[in-house]
Amino acid sequence: MSGAIGYVSQASPVHRLHALVKVLWALGVLITSLAFTDVRYLAGVLASVLVVAAAARVLLRLLPALAGLAVFALILVFFQAVFLDRGRVLFYIIPWAKILPVTGAGLLLGAAMGLRMLSIVLSFLVLLATTQVKDITTMLVARCRVPYDYAFLFATILRFVPVFLREARQVDQAQRARGLVVEGPNPWRKLKGYAPLAVPLVLLSLRRAEQLAVALEMRGYGQGGGVAADRPLKNRDRFLIAGLVLIIGALLAARVAGYGT
Amino acid sequence: MSGPPAVEIEDLHYRYPGGPAALRGVSLVVAAGEMVAMVGQNGAGKSTLARHLNGLLRPAAGRVRIFGRDTARLRVSELARYVGYVFQNPDHQIFRETVAAEVAFGPANLGCPPDEIEARVHAALRFVNLEEKRDANPHLLSRGERQRVALASVLAMQTPVLVLDEPTTGQDYRTSLEIMERVAELNRAGHTVIFITHDMELVARYASRVVVLARGKVVADGGVRETFASPGVLAASHLAPPDITCLAREMAPWGIPGDVLTVEEMLAVLAPLVGGRGC
Repeated sequence: MSGAIGYVSQASPVHRLHALVKVLWALGVLITSLAFTDVRYLAGVLASVLVVAAAARVLLRLLPALAGLAVFALILVFFQAVFLDRGRVLFYIIPWAKILPVTGAGLLLGAAMGLRMLSIVLSFLVLLATTQVKDITTMLVARCRVPYDYAFLFATILRFVPVFLREARQVDQAQRARGLVVEGPNPWRKLKGYAPLAVPLVLLSLRRAEQLAVALEMRGYGQGGGVAADRPLKNRDRFLIAGLVLIIGALLAARVAGYGT
Repeated sequence: MSGPPAVEIEDLHYRYPGGPAALRGVSLVVAAGEMVAMVGQNGAGKSTLARHLNGLLRPAAGRVRIFGRDTARLRVSELARYVGYVFQNPDHQIFRETVAAEVAFGPANLGCPPDEIEARVHAALRFVNLEEKRDANPHLLSRGERQRVALASVLAMQTPVLVLDEPTTGQDYRTSLEIMERVAELNRAGHTVIFITHDMELVARYASRVVVLARGKVVADGGVRETFASPGVLAASHLAPPDITCLAREMAPWGIPGDVLTVEEMLAVLAPLVGGRGC
């Protein structure tokens, strides 16, 4: 997963687009995926996200993450299928005792939730893979009037996700090298087993936050200096923004009119 | 020594997911009781190779055996009995509230009885000279002291093989020597030691054998003296022998041998010459 988060430096039609276009696209995927529950629509959204990922030439890099997410999606399907007790029973998980009935409605709802989760997470991974965080921040501050401190906070969090994951891996390795085993049936022991992993990670993060604060202050952060101007929008960016706004608007209108439940 | 070698690596290949090949066909045999330095540029594959020794990484191709046992068939927690690994950054492991508790973590994981753990903690802390800090909070110690806590926490596991990933980073010169003296002592007591370092002086002073890695391959493997005396191999991997060896080489016209490794050796070579002129 750690390899999937972060900017991929290469040339592609998607990379060349303005950050505003891609942020709008990711938000569009988010909002319309949440609005619709129709599996056909959600499958269409996922397909469109995959097409964008392919156009950005990051699909291969995202495949391992996609596979990992698919497992979660299947778990979602399973739980919905098992626990939604509505509609016609298709089959039972334990057929001889007629326990855990799986209904058509449950299966559909599970599939919808799984597809929704995949589309939303993947669209943001594509956004991060094709857009530098500094471009997103500049755009947020210059065009959306987001206060600089918040935009900076957002950028910092994103920047430190890969660092945090790498550190988590190293802590895990260091403790396993000393014979730590976080396995076994006893939940209390399992919980205790995570302390050797959690404590160093928390302390490292606190120490890093402190160092970052000092480093920022030393470089004059908070003096109220101006923010760099945003890149100008090109015609294709304007065209795409108009298109996205129209599509999102139309979809939401259709949803309000009662389609796609 | 009889019995299987401590470490046996056979045509080892490894690639990080989504990255370039990190190891490209490494073969290496380390006999029990050796003290081997592993050197090379950043990214040469030193740590990747070392992480195969205790099963943290599994070979993509090839085989790693520790005392004849294939690491592919053992869990990391089982290998922890044979191979101790001291990581570069002590902050990746320190989590207990006292130094003694931190050092006790490893032996407790190995299933040692309490009095045995206590004895090992005591010995390990005495060894790294931190006895009087045994009840201190390890997070409040200096970086150098934390590094020694990490070292002690692995020593307490009393593994026959010790892997040290840059054990002297962040230590002043004297503490570096102190740590290496202790490691050399462990080696004389029978432990097989493999240490990664960028400090060629430490290699010259403490290792009996040096393995040079470059771009995932072993490009040189031999005695420290011979390796440092042949400038080509080191230069090819962007390493330089210790200053004193470079000086000795430059002084070849005056009859100084080119394989001097330490200041003491240089003095031994120079003393008769200087003394002779004085008389």
